[in-house]
Parts: sequence; C-alpha cells; structure tokens
Amino acid sequence: MKENVSRAALLLDGRVGDDPTLALVHEALADGLAAGGWAVDDWRLQSEKIAWCAGCFGCWVKTPGVCVHRDAGRDVAARAERSDLYVYLTPVTFGGYSAELKKALDHLIPLKLPDLKKAGADTRHPQRYERNHDLLVVGTVPEGQADGAEARTFRRLVERNALNLRPERWSAGVLESGAGEWEVRLAVNAWLAEVGVVPLAASPDRARQEAVA
Amino acid sequence: MKPPRTALLLVGSPKPGASSSASLGTYLLEELEQLGLHTDTVNLTKALRSGGATESLHAAVAAADLVVLSFPLYIDSLPAPVIRALELIAARRAGLSPAAAGDKPALVAICQCGFPEAEHNEVALEICRNFAPAAGFEWAGGLGMGGGGMASRRPLREIRGMLRSAVHALDLTAAELAAGRPVPGEAVRLMAKPAIPGFAYRFVANRQWRGELKKQGATAPLDARPFG
Repeated sequence: MKENVSRAALLLDGRVGDDPTLALVHEALADGLAAGGWAVDDWRLQSEKIAWCAGCFGCWVKTPGVCVHRDAGRDVAARAERSDLYVYLTPVTFGGYSAELKKALDHLIPLKLPDLKKAGADTRHPQRYERNHDLLVVGTVPEGQADGAEARTFRRLVERNALNLRPERWSAGVLESGAGEWEVRLAVNAWLAEVGVVPLAASPDRARQEAVA
Repeated sequence: MKPPRTALLLVGSPKPGASSSASLGTYLLEELEQLGLHTDTVNLTKALRSGGATESLHAAVAAADLVVLSFPLYIDSLPAPVIRALELIAARRAGLSPAAAGDKPALVAICQCGFPEAEHNEVALEICRNFAPAAGFEWAGGLGMGGGGMASRRPLREIRGMLRSAVHALDLTAAELAAGRPVPGEAVRLMAKPAIPGFAYRFVANRQWRGELKKQGATAPLDARPFG
C-alpha cells in the first residue's frame, strides 16, 4: 500500500450549471482526499476560460510538451503532471464526459509523446513523463439509469482512458441524480479506496507509524 | 427511415483549415448530392463562436432529413466543441414534440483517429449512438477509420487510390442512406480496413513527427519535459 501523506490529487469538476448531486460528490471527494492526507488541486471548470484544443499539434512539434495557447489549459496540464491521482467529475453526457470536463482533458495531450508505439494489440502514444497517475472518474445519470446504455458507455470510456493512461489503479463510478448525502459519501469512499485513498486513521502506514511511535 | 431529401454535414474538427473530418464528410455529402439530395455543411467550432452562428446551426439541423457528423477522435472520445454542440442540439430538440419513428431525421457518424487501428473509435461512435435518441434522431450507423491523418492533406476524391477501401465504404454508405437504409455492415468493415500495414504506418508517422519538428523550428526536443 502506498503512503497517502503529501500526495497530490487533481480534481477536475465538469459539472454543468447547478448540479446538486455532483456538488455532493465534489464535497465528499474533497473530504475523503483531505482525510487521507492528500493535497487537492480543485478545479471548477465551468468558471475557467479554456480555449478548445485546436488539434494543431503545436504542443508536439512547436513547443514540445506545452500547449501553444496561453490560458488555463496550460496550467491544467502542468498541475496534472505533478499529481498522483486524477479525479474527474461529470454528468454522464450521452455516455461520455461533459464539454466542460472535456475542454480541460483535451489539453492533456502534451503530456503524451507524438510517437506511435505498439502496446499489445493496439498502437498508443507513450507518456512524456514517468510518473504514475491513478484515475477515478465519477459520473451522474438520471434516476433509474445507473445500468442503462449511457452508463455502460461511460464505464467503457473510462476503461479506454485507463488503457491510455496506464495507471496502477483506476475506478469508474456512476451515481443516480438525487442520491442522498450518505449514499454519495459511502459510494465515494468506496471508489476512493479502490484508488488507494483511505482515511489516515485507517491507513496501514499510519497504523505502522503509530505503532513505532 | 424514409429516403432523405436533405443532408447536413457537421464538421467536428476544431482545426481552422483542411481536415480529415471535412475530407471524409465532404466526399460522402458530394455522393449524396449526386444521388439527388440537397446538402449543407456547418463547421461546429465556428457555430459555437456566437449566438447567431449557433442559431444557424439549429436551423440547419432542423431542416435536415439526414445529419452526417464527421469528427476526429480526441482522447477516446469526441472533441470538446463537438460535445458542446451535441449538448446544445439535444437541449434545443428536447422541446420539440416527438416525431413518429419513421419521420425522425437520421444521424450517421464518421470518426477517424491517428492510430492505425479503427477500434479506437468504438466508444466515440457509441456516444454518438446514445446521442441520437436523446436528440430525437434515428441512429443510422457509424463508420470508424484508423490512420485518419492520411485523408487530411487533400480532398478524398484526389487521393482515392490510396484510400480506396474508405472511398468504397463511403460510396456504399451514400447509396444506402439515399435509399432510406442504414450504413451497411460491409461499409463498416471497409472503413475499418487499414490502408497500409500498422508497422509501416507507425514508421512513416514517427518520421513525419520528427520532420515536422524541424520544419516548425521547435523550441525543444520532441521528448522535452517542461514540467519537470
């Protein structure tokens, strides 16, 4: 089990408008990460002006590793590279991510190299950096649709993202809109545990530290 | 699905100039035009630049019996501006009274990626399939293409020899759509067929990236790590 203390999480919140369920999820995630001793870099993307990625590939061949466009998209990429865990929040949008979340994710391309390398049956872009980034993606669907077509597509999308990111741990969570606070907190804590985030009091590392002390 | 009289191409590439998405979509649209359909084209990124342009997008969608969405794969999914456009279209159409099954406009999607394998496009096409009923369209099928960059430099009609499988797929698709039928399985198979072997594609692409680095006068080596 990894040491939680002083680890960094990048929280990208792609909620659209006033979304009470995602607001609860956000709060539960922030609390859970803080309880695990994680530093949280918290982004409410709705209020961030980030240009659409133009697909110019300047970040690969003009200014390698950095987007040619100067805005918060650059900051998201820089912070992402310094994070041990990516956490995405989104309303499940036709089975994918909201445009608010995706406008930031499209700017993570400079964290990859342009080279095409065979990885198993598929070709992929290698990572520019060596650091591992675990991945947790939480999406909300309308009531009664947690097992519907869009939720299934969403889980497949997160799995595809994980194949590209190659994290040591990843998890995809789906919650129905209108879920109560305790339901949200229980689900979020379970998903956090899947990516190695546990409250410090429950951490074996902490228990070991206390035993030594 | 009734035989359509009007077709609208939605170009989803955020690139300002020529793109593979425009090249593939335009070829299909031209084929449909030759089969008697009236056609129109809207670039989605441009349509999001102003309220007036977005209204024009809604009007164009409302006038179409068949919508062709052609876009590049961005991180296993659709580019953000395409998602935004789909969100807006679905929200606008949610207010319309539901059309009878046979009267719904049809939606077909073309997704191409820079990897040689077309399978990377599957989830993105699934997202388009989910969008169709959410926005009152009838899903007419999706075409996924690997090695999409090969179609970006010139109109598909000019390079049809190299991409003959894709051209054949689009010809088959145009004929079926014009007759009011969905994308045929043979077209899906042909579109996914690599134009050149994967190892050759990777070799050429990796050389091209290095050539482009020199051409652009890059500020750092290809594998620079500016964030540490």
